[in-house]
Amino acid sequence: MNELLTFIASHRAEMATRLGEHVVLVAASTAIAAAMGIPLGLIAARRPALARPIVAVANLAQTIPSLALFGFLIPLPYIGGIGTRTALVALTVYAVLPILRATITGLQGVPPAVVECAVAMGLTPRQVLRQVEWPLALPSIVSGLRVAVVIGVGTATIASAIGAGGLGDYIFRGLAMIDATVILAGALPAALLALTADAALAAAGQLADPRRRSRRPVAVLAVVAILAVMTAVSGRASAGRADLVVGSKNFTEQVVLGELLAQAIERRTGLTVERRLNLGGTAIAHEALLSGGIDVYVEYTGTSLTAIFKQPPSADSEQVFATVRDRYAAHGLTLLPRLGFNNTFAILVRGDDVRRLGMKSISEVAAQATWKAGFGYEFLERPDGFKGLSAAYGLSFAQAPRVMDLNLIYRALAAGEIDVTAGDATSGLIGALGLAVLDDDRHYFPVYDAAPVARASVMLQYPAAALAIRSLAGRVSAADMQQMNFAVDSEKQEPATVVRAFLDKIGGF
Amino acid sequence: MSPPAVQFAEVSASRGGRTVLRQVSLSVAAGQTVALVGRSGSGKTTLLRLVNRLLDPDSGDVLVDGLSTRAWNPVDLRRRTGYVIQDAGLFPHVTVAGNIATVPRLLEWPSARIEARVDELLTLVGLDPAVFRGRWPDQLSGGQRQRAGLARALAADPPLLLMDEPFGALDPITKGELHAEFQRVQRTLHRSVILVTHDMAEACLLADQIAVLHDGEVIACDTPANVVAANDVRVTSLFGELRLQPEATPRVNP
Repeated sequence: MNELLTFIASHRAEMATRLGEHVVLVAASTAIAAAMGIPLGLIAARRPALARPIVAVANLAQTIPSLALFGFLIPLPYIGGIGTRTALVALTVYAVLPILRATITGLQGVPPAVVECAVAMGLTPRQVLRQVEWPLALPSIVSGLRVAVVIGVGTATIASAIGAGGLGDYIFRGLAMIDATVILAGALPAALLALTADAALAAAGQLADPRRRSRRPVAVLAVVAILAVMTAVSGRASAGRADLVVGSKNFTEQVVLGELLAQAIERRTGLTVERRLNLGGTAIAHEALLSGGIDVYVEYTGTSLTAIFKQPPSADSEQVFATVRDRYAAHGLTLLPRLGFNNTFAILVRGDDVRRLGMKSISEVAAQATWKAGFGYEFLERPDGFKGLSAAYGLSFAQAPRVMDLNLIYRALAAGEIDVTAGDATSGLIGALGLAVLDDDRHYFPVYDAAPVARASVMLQYPAAALAIRSLAGRVSAADMQQMNFAVDSEKQEPATVVRAFLDKIGGF
Repeated sequence: MSPPAVQFAEVSASRGGRTVLRQVSLSVAAGQTVALVGRSGSGKTTLLRLVNRLLDPDSGDVLVDGLSTRAWNPVDLRRRTGYVIQDAGLFPHVTVAGNIATVPRLLEWPSARIEARVDELLTLVGLDPAVFRGRWPDQLSGGQRQRAGLARALAADPPLLLMDEPFGALDPITKGELHAEFQRVQRTLHRSVILVTHDMAEACLLADQIAVLHDGEVIACDTPANVVAANDVRVTSLFGELRLQPEATPRVNP
């Protein structure tokens, strides 16, 4: 708890910005969803024949997992890309259903005799809606809004994966760093925000209830106060666009490398750099680069070759680099010189097991028939991942490998939930959690040289930035990378601090 | 002579593909109370709803003050036609006073006149304004709701009143009180009233004329005394049920 307070105190300004982004995301998406869902609900309640298809579509949208929805949206024009706009679209999609349903339920709950009397008294259809149906359906609609907002606050944390910011940044960062304090720094304010917004809407709902007229002043004050706080908070979130946007995928090393690019540019040029770190995977980062959501990020040549360009893997470092560079060029992207380390997959086991069994290499895993394996989703799917590995080494496990989150996999291994996994060769957690890397004795894993990839147009526009990035060529060794990963993951240092120290050490920046 | 308040001219109507009214002709003289009686499904309520255009006839015509309902602006027609249903249909989110003031507000009466009118009507239907103005509908008993519903229907002083089983859900004592109340109000106001009921005693008590509906046709229309004296078994059977019901209660075990 003390650590959390310290973290909050030292990140006050950033947290306010993230909270502001979060509030804006939820408020805007709920407002848009209400603007769509309430009229749709009115139509559906009037025409039961339409209600079924409308609710079915909204239901279907609700069942799409949020990361998958972001994935669908990124390549789309106008509503896609990465950042706030896409997040708003996705959050709106999720918020429509509860509002739509509540509107239909509310209107259907209006006693038919009451509506009949209203019509018979000479109210026009519009007057019937405004004076009778709307006020009677309002409590239900407000409860729908409350559900939508609470869902929205939760889902908006995932918006961090596509660079929309928000409190999810801390949750993803904390997961990457295996640091509960950082996770809490995102999760706790999100929970408080959900409760506050829910309470504010409940108070607003009381305003609408004519039976509680006497309590109005209190409720008005509560709503006004909460709105004022939210406006103040969200005011801090808005900022102008920087010259360049640096991205990264969502694990520690990527965040460090993103920070490295950003600081190198900032220190060598006068350009402003925006950081969109923690993007949710290779595909999202690549699409973000193509759509201009980010201008540069560090990719691994082997990943580009197989996962992006769907080519067979290769162990020839120079050939892979040349192939990938040409492929990127065809997309208007520039592959810049390699940073100097090869982050190949490492097959990891517990250090205790290695000592106990006297193990050295991956081929010895085949003898451990009772072992349980767990891999990240990407590793299980990629051609150069588990399929090739098990063929090359004749591996078979008692149970099918478990699919696990990349961020939890090291801890799962250390805790004995699984016995073998694939991780990054440069992970700082290998040392921190007492894990061991098995030797790739059959040379199965291809090269994964880290190299920045940038939008060609942006590199032409800012040659100084291109030069700054090129100056990093060959400057980052595998040992450097492990050290920086360890500093962030295990020593709980800020990536920015670690990178600053590193640039100071290597000099020239 | 002024035209009848309401005149049905060879009206046929159907609901959900089923013919409910066949060639009904019936006239309601101004200032008179006509009761529509008959079994469930005989078409009483359908006939009533044709008057304020909640429904339109398939053929034939309904004339209100000599003018076809099709020629009336439906909103104007409804605002001069009071409507009372079983359980009153009060707006649950509005106070008793607000409910009564609905139509006067739509007609944009000055607020002082509305206030005065609400008090006047509450007094007329036997509810103390000081007590009942601010009450919510769910704080009223069944009889009080019916009284408030009647007051609401009378608010803009409509010359025509449509009542669909207004006393149907009340206990016998309350029903008796409301019958007396209705008669007192009618003696003062002399409205044209169409009253749908399946209670023959109520029809005899309150109506000037009773129209008996059977399978969508009017098989008798006369004064209560003449209807009671009729020979038609379809009419007398309605009275038969009426006579049997009270006798059924104090049954003695053999």
